[in-house]
Amino acid sequence: MKELISPDPPVKRFLTPLFMMNPIREYQDALTRRHFFGRAGVGLAALSTLLSDDLRGDDSIQRNAVGEMSRLPHFVPQARRVIYLFQSGGPSQIDLLDYKPGLKKRLGEEVPTSVYPDERKTTMSNAQSTFATAPSIFAFPRFGESGLRMSELLANTGQFADDLCIIHSMHTQAINHDPAITMMQTGSQIPGRPSIGSWLSYGLGSETAELPAFVAMSSRGSGRAGQPLYDRLWGSGFLPSVYQGVKFRNQGAPVLDIYDPPGVDPSMRRTMLDYLGKLNELKFQDSGDKEIQTRIAQYELAGRMQSSVPELLDFGQESKQTMEMYGPEVDRQGSYAHNCLIARRLAERGVRFIQLFHQGWDQHGSLPKQIRGQCRDTDQPTAALLQDLKSRGMLDDSLVVWGGEFGRTVYSQGLLTRNNYGRDHHGNCFSVWLAGGGIQGGRTYGKTDDYSANVAENGVEVHDLNATILHQLGLDHERLVFPFQGRDFRLTDVRGQVIQEILA
Amino acid sequence: MQFHLALKVVLALSLCQVVIATIRADEDRINFSRDVRPILAAKCWNCHGPDENTRKGDLRLDVRADAEHVLSSETDSVARVVELITASDPGDRMPPISSKKPLTKNEIEILSRWIEQGAPYEGHWAFQSLNRPAIPHVDVPAGGNAIDQFIIARLDAAGLKPSAEADRATMIRRLSLDVTGIPPTITEVDEFEGDQSPDAYEKLINRLLSSPRYGEHMAVPWLDAARYADTDGYQNDRYRYMHVWRDWVVLALNENKPYDEFIVEQLAGDMLPDATLKQQIATGFCRNHRINSEDGSIPQEWHVENVVDRVDTLGTAILGLTFGCARCHDHKYDPMSSKEYYQLFAYFNNVPEWGIGPNNGNSPPFIEVPDSWPNLSAEDDVARAPQPLALHRAREKEKGNGLKRPQAGKKNTVMVMHEMPTPRPTYLLHRGQFNEPDETEVLTPDVPQELGGFSNQHPRNRLELAKWLVHPRHPLTARVAVNRMWQQFFGTGIVKTSENFGLQGELPSHPELLDWLAIQFVESGWDVKALQKLILSSATYRQSSRTTPELDDTDPENRLLARGPRFRLHPFALRDSMLASSGLLVERIGGPPAKPYMPPQIWKSISNNKYEQDTGEQLYRRSVYTFWRRTIPPPTMVNFNSAEREVCVVRKDRTNTPLQALTQMNNITFVEASRFLAERMMRHSDDDAAAIEFGFRQLVARAPDSTEKTLLQDAYQSFLGQFHENKPGALKLMSVGEKPHDETLELARHAALTMTASLMMNLDEAITKE
Repeated sequence: MKELISPDPPVKRFLTPLFMMNPIREYQDALTRRHFFGRAGVGLAALSTLLSDDLRGDDSIQRNAVGEMSRLPHFVPQARRVIYLFQSGGPSQIDLLDYKPGLKKRLGEEVPTSVYPDERKTTMSNAQSTFATAPSIFAFPRFGESGLRMSELLANTGQFADDLCIIHSMHTQAINHDPAITMMQTGSQIPGRPSIGSWLSYGLGSETAELPAFVAMSSRGSGRAGQPLYDRLWGSGFLPSVYQGVKFRNQGAPVLDIYDPPGVDPSMRRTMLDYLGKLNELKFQDSGDKEIQTRIAQYELAGRMQSSVPELLDFGQESKQTMEMYGPEVDRQGSYAHNCLIARRLAERGVRFIQLFHQGWDQHGSLPKQIRGQCRDTDQPTAALLQDLKSRGMLDDSLVVWGGEFGRTVYSQGLLTRNNYGRDHHGNCFSVWLAGGGIQGGRTYGKTDDYSANVAENGVEVHDLNATILHQLGLDHERLVFPFQGRDFRLTDVRGQVIQEILA
Repeated sequence: MQFHLALKVVLALSLCQVVIATIRADEDRINFSRDVRPILAAKCWNCHGPDENTRKGDLRLDVRADAEHVLSSETDSVARVVELITASDPGDRMPPISSKKPLTKNEIEILSRWIEQGAPYEGHWAFQSLNRPAIPHVDVPAGGNAIDQFIIARLDAAGLKPSAEADRATMIRRLSLDVTGIPPTITEVDEFEGDQSPDAYEKLINRLLSSPRYGEHMAVPWLDAARYADTDGYQNDRYRYMHVWRDWVVLALNENKPYDEFIVEQLAGDMLPDATLKQQIATGFCRNHRINSEDGSIPQEWHVENVVDRVDTLGTAILGLTFGCARCHDHKYDPMSSKEYYQLFAYFNNVPEWGIGPNNGNSPPFIEVPDSWPNLSAEDDVARAPQPLALHRAREKEKGNGLKRPQAGKKNTVMVMHEMPTPRPTYLLHRGQFNEPDETEVLTPDVPQELGGFSNQHPRNRLELAKWLVHPRHPLTARVAVNRMWQQFFGTGIVKTSENFGLQGELPSHPELLDWLAIQFVESGWDVKALQKLILSSATYRQSSRTTPELDDTDPENRLLARGPRFRLHPFALRDSMLASSGLLVERIGGPPAKPYMPPQIWKSISNNKYEQDTGEQLYRRSVYTFWRRTIPPPTMVNFNSAEREVCVVRKDRTNTPLQALTQMNNITFVEASRFLAERMMRHSDDDAAAIEFGFRQLVARAPDSTEKTLLQDAYQSFLGQFHENKPGALKLMSVGEKPHDETLELARHAALTMTASLMMNLDEAITKE
C-alpha cells in the first residue's frame, strides 16, 4: 500500500495573509513559513489567481464540474519529490537503451531516405556524402525478472530494471543543444519560461525551512568538456524569483557566500546578527514597514543556513558501505557520484526538486570510447542512488528521472568503421527512464522503428513527460498556471498528456 | 445585499486590485471593464473570442454586435448566455467541463446582472486617445502640484489622508538614490539641511538631474528593456561588443534627449535624412537581441527568432503590449490578428543579416566606431555603410559539415540596423514556424488596425513606424513611458502591469492622472527631465514613508499613496551605494565592460569560457558597466532580482531572501567596501563614537539616535574585544579584496570598525530607499 501523503495544503498557509492582512500574523508566518526563500507577499497575487476558482466561490468547499476539489495539490500525490538525473549533450539511445538487433546486418548500408524523409538534419552533418548505418557495438543483455534489455554499459543500473520504466518514444522538435535542453527544462525552445523545478516549488512550496525547494547541481565526465549549461535551466522565468533553483556550485563554497569572511568566526557572526536584529527592530518600530520584519527573519535563516549547508555536505556520518556503493569519485566535489549522494541527503531533508546535470554526452565522433567513459562515471552512482533510496524506503515517494535533451542519429557522423563511429543530434526519438514515485517498474513504453530513427508507437512529447512528472506530484499541468503578459502560462504550453499507461 | 458582500470578496481577491476594487464595490452598477471583461477573457474568449481558428459555434463574445442574439432576452425569458452558464445538466453548461475553467457562482451572478443591465460593452481604455482630464478641486499641501490634486482626490474618496513631508535627511537620500543611484555625501546632507531658502528643494532636484551619475542610473531600466548584454545568449554564449550603444543611452539621458527622438533614433536612426553616426549607433537597440551561434543550427529558423525578438521588444518596451501571442495565432484577448503580427514583423525583416552568428564578435551588419567616440568631430559623426555580409564555411576541415557563418565584427565595431535595397518578402508563418510560410500573400508592413485610429497613417517602413509611435495623439507611447517613470520612483506603476496595457493588463489606479501626465509629457516636447521633476516635486513624492497597521490593512501595496515610497534598492544601486559610501566607487562614464569580483570559476564550472577578472579601477566601476553574460549573469545582481537580459523586461518582482543576506554579509565586494568605509571612519575621528556616527551617516544620511548609538558602540566593543584576542583573524579580514589596507592604522580597531561598517551596511535602512 502506498502511503497517502496528506494534502497538507500550502493553500491555507497562503490564504492566511490574504484574508487576514494582519501584520502580526504575517510576521509569524514569515518566521515559520515553510516557504523558504520568500515572503508570501511576493507570490500572493499569483497565488490568488492560481487558487482563484476556490476563492471566488462560497466559503463552503467548492467542487468543480468533475467533482475534484480545486486545491493544491490538485490530487493525491504519488511522489513527494523529484530527483532528475539530467544527462546533458544527448545520450545515444541506440547504444544505451533502445535495443536494435536488426541493425547489425545493415552495418555500413545507407540509411534509406524513407527513414529520413524531410529530416531536420543539423548543418553539422547535412552535407555528408553518405549516411551509413552504424549499429551499436555494445551488447544488450536482459536484466531483472522483467528481462528488460539494456546496454552492457549500464550493468549497474540494470540491476534495478524491475524498478525502471524505459520510454523509447520520446521526441522533440529541437535539434540543437540550447533549444533542446531549454525545451526539456522549460517547455519552450526559446528562453524566458520558468523551469520545471520552479513550477513545482511555485505549486507546492517547500518542505524544509533551511534549504531551498529546488536545488540544481552539475558535474562533468572524465571525457570531453561537454556542452555548456545556463542559469535559465534552473531559473524561474516570469515566476517570482523566489521559486528559482539554487545552484550548488561544484567548486569551492557550494552555496554562494555561505562562509563567513576569513577572520570572522561564528561567535562574531552571532554577535553581529544579534545587533543587526535589534537595530532593524528599532527601524520597524519607527517605520512600520513589514518588509523589515521579513528581512530580520531572512537574516536569521541565513545564519541557520551557514550551519545547515556544511552539515548537509559533510559525509562524515555516512557508512563506509554507503560511500563505497557510490564509487571512488564520491568524495570529489563536482563529480556525478558526489552529487548523487548529495541528492539523497537533500531528499532526506525535504528538498522538493533535485536536479543533477551531467555533461559530456555529445558524442559526434569516437562515440564508443567516449560513451564508455561517461557510463563509467555515471552508471554505478546512479545505481547506488536507487539502492540507497530503496533501502531507506524512499524510492516509493521519490520520482527518479534519467534522460537527456535528445537522442543521436543511427547514421554515422564522420567515418564509420567496425569499432568506431560518431552520431549527430537526433530529435525524432530518444529514450528516458523513470523510476519510483508511482511509476510502473520493469516495463518499457513506446516503440521506435527498426532504425531507432522515428517513433513507431505511442510517441511521447516533452510536454507529456513534464505533465506526467507534475501529475505524480499531485499537480494538474492544465491548472498549474501563472498569469503573465495577459495570459495564463503553463509548463506544458497548450499541450501535454499524462502517460496514464505507465502509472502504477 | 448578499450579492454585494459576495462581490466585495470577489473583487478584493481579484489580483492586486485589492484597494481599488473594494472601494468601488459599493456601486450598484456592474462595470464592464472592471467586472465583466476579466471573466469573459479568462473563461470565454478562448473559444468565443477574436481568434477565428479556435472559435466554436460561430459565436464571438468580444464584439457586442456579434453577440447581440445571445445577450438580449425575449420578454419573460432569460438571455441565451444566462441559460447556458446556469444549465443544470453539466453536459449543456458553459464553459464546458473539458475547459477546466468553470464559472464560480459569483461570476455567474456578475454576468447575469450585467446582462440584466443591458450588457453594455466598453472600448479598451488604453486604446482610446488621450483626453485632458479635469484636475480635481481639492486642497493640496503647500508646494504641491496638480499630481497631488489627483492623488488627494482619490485618497479623500477612500477616506484616507496623505502623510506629512519626510524630513530633510530622508528627502535628500531618497532623491539622490532615485535620481543618481547613489546616496548623498555627508556634506551634501549638511548643506541641504542648512539651506533655508524657499527653493532649496528645487535646487537639489536640479543639481541631481544634471549630475553625470543621472544617466548611468536612469539607463538601467532601459538597458533591461532593451535586453542589452555583452554576449550572444545561446549555448557557448560568446562575446559581442555593444557597449558603444550602452554609452549612447547614458549620454542621451544625460543630455535629456526628448523621448520622441530617443525612440525614433533607436528604431530608425539609420534611415533619418543625413543620419549622424550617433543616430546610426542608436539603432543598436534593435540588434541587442540574442543571436544563436550553435553548430548545426538552421539559419532560416534563427533569423525568424531575431525578428520576432525585435517585434516583441517594440511591443513590451514602447507600447506596453504583448504581441508575442499573435505570432502563432490571432491574439486571444487583444485585437491583433496573426497577419497583423507579421505585418509588424515586416518592418524589421529587411536587415542584411544571417540567422547564425559568427560565434565570437559582432554579427553583420556592423560598423566601425572611430577611436574618438563619443567626442566625434563633425566629419566623423556621419552614418557609414556597414560591411556587406560575407559568409564562409565554418568547419571546412570536417567533411559533411555544411555550417556557414558570417564574418565577425571586432572590438571596435558596433551592430546597427540597415535596410536591404530590395525588401525581403514577409509571409505569415503558420504556428510561427519558420518553415511554414503562407506564400500566397506577401505582407505589406503596417500597424495593427485597432491602434491606428488616431491617424490615417499607414507607415510602410521602419522610420515611418518610429514616427507613428511618437505621434502626439498616439494612445500608448506616452502613457507607457510615463507609467514606467512612475514605477521607478514609486515602486509600482499607475498601471501595475507596466508590460501590459492590453485587455488582460491591470486597470490604472489613477486613470486621469496617467492621462494628465502623458499629455504634459507630450506637450512639453517629450521632455523627460521636466516630467521627472514634476513628479519629484509633488507633495505625494515628498511624503514620509512611515506606515501604520491601519493604513497597511487598507492599502498594503500603497497604491493610493497615502504615504511615500519605501522599498529595497535595485541591485545595481545597492552595490554602487556601498562602493560610494566606502569611497571605492570610480566615477567615469562609459567604455568597455568591467569585470569585477565574481565567485571563483563562475563561468568555467558550467561552460567553456573563463571569467578573467579585472584588477584595479575596473573592480569599482558602477554596476551598469559590469560585464553581462546572459547565460550566467552576475549572481550577486540576480540574487537581488535584476533582469537577466535574455528578453525585454520592464518589471521585476522584489524578493527578500536569505541568499541576499549571505551576499551582503560575506561577499568579497561588500566586505571590501566595509573595510574601506571603516578606513574612512578612522580617518574621520579617533573617537569611536564619532567614527561610527560618520559611517552611519555615509550610509543612511541621518544621524543615529541615542539607542542606536549605544547598540552600535556595544557591537563595536564586542568586535574589538574579539579582535584584540585574535590578531591573525583581524589580519585575514583586512586581506579580503584586492586593495591593500593601510598598515599604519591600528589593526584591531580597523577590523572591529570593519565589522561595524558591515553591520551598518546590512541594516534594512542602508539598502532601502525610504
